[in-house]
Amino acid sequence: MDKGDPDEELVSRVARGDPAAARSLVARKLPRLLSLAGRILGDGAEAEDVAQEAFVRIWKQAPRWTPGTARFDTWLHRVALNLCYDRLRRRRELSYAEPPERPDEGPGPDRGLLAADTGRRVSAALQALPERQREAVVLCHYQELGNIEAAAVMGISVEALESLLGRGRRALRTALIDLKET
Amino acid sequence: MTPDRFETLAEAWGGEVARWPAAEREAAATLMAEQPAWASAILARAGDLDAALDVFAAPRASGALAERIVAGAPKPRAARWVGWLIPVGMGAGLAAACAAGVLVGAQVSAPAAGAASDTDALVTAVSADDFSLYDEDA
Repeated sequence: MDKGDPDEELVSRVARGDPAAARSLVARKLPRLLSLAGRILGDGAEAEDVAQEAFVRIWKQAPRWTPGTARFDTWLHRVALNLCYDRLRRRRELSYAEPPERPDEGPGPDRGLLAADTGRRVSAALQALPERQREAVVLCHYQELGNIEAAAVMGISVEALESLLGRGRRALRTALIDLKET
Repeated sequence: MTPDRFETLAEAWGGEVARWPAAEREAAATLMAEQPAWASAILARAGDLDAALDVFAAPRASGALAERIVAGAPKPRAARWVGWLIPVGMGAGLAAACAAGVLVGAQVSAPAAGAASDTDALVTAVSADDFSLYDEDA
């Protein structure tokens, strides 16, 4: 990547067992992992599980991390997405046996009832999207990845990403059409 | 850039042109300068959806979760060595004790009565120390 990897130095310190570096990496990446998994899964508790599992992989991978192949953040997003999809697959398998129960992680209570309601509506609309469209929206809008990086995480071209985003956002607009009036 | 293309980009990438693909931004800026009212309306519509999406907040990281995660991080190399230096050290001590025993045994192979009892005591003392250390930590 042209600008180098902003996580490279921190990851190499983690690999050497530097406890301050481990704390810094957790402070830097944990909110991003919770944001990603929370939006993909629509469930805060499961998002925490995914974040923990992703860090287990980070701790294992850090000593073997080779700079210059992919950005660390790109790799981490791919790992976290795979963990999310494992969970979504398990949910689908379980839903054959019992009715789906999807606890909804809305915004914090301090945001007020209206915002909480809107948050739940957006979460539901996002969960209703096909997986790849949801992934595209989450990576580009919530994770604020650049288009090239988001396409790399998804293993597709920027044009294909644009198509997924366009369809996803059109569906979201339709689902949330009444929000602007409220 | 055609107006259709501008709309497609806003639909896909949202109301902030800075988040559009870099190769499209300059042409978009030109179109915005040519048709500012129309372009602003398109961007505002995309921006409304961006704002609605932002209301869906991410779960917050708790301090306890962060601590659990940090506890699993790789340990400093020195700390990792302690784990295998202790058994290595015990092994070295045991080897030294055995070597001392062999040496002493060789020296007393043609014993004078008084000397034999001194070296026996020495071997017993060294071996007993090392084996008791080994047993405690094993």
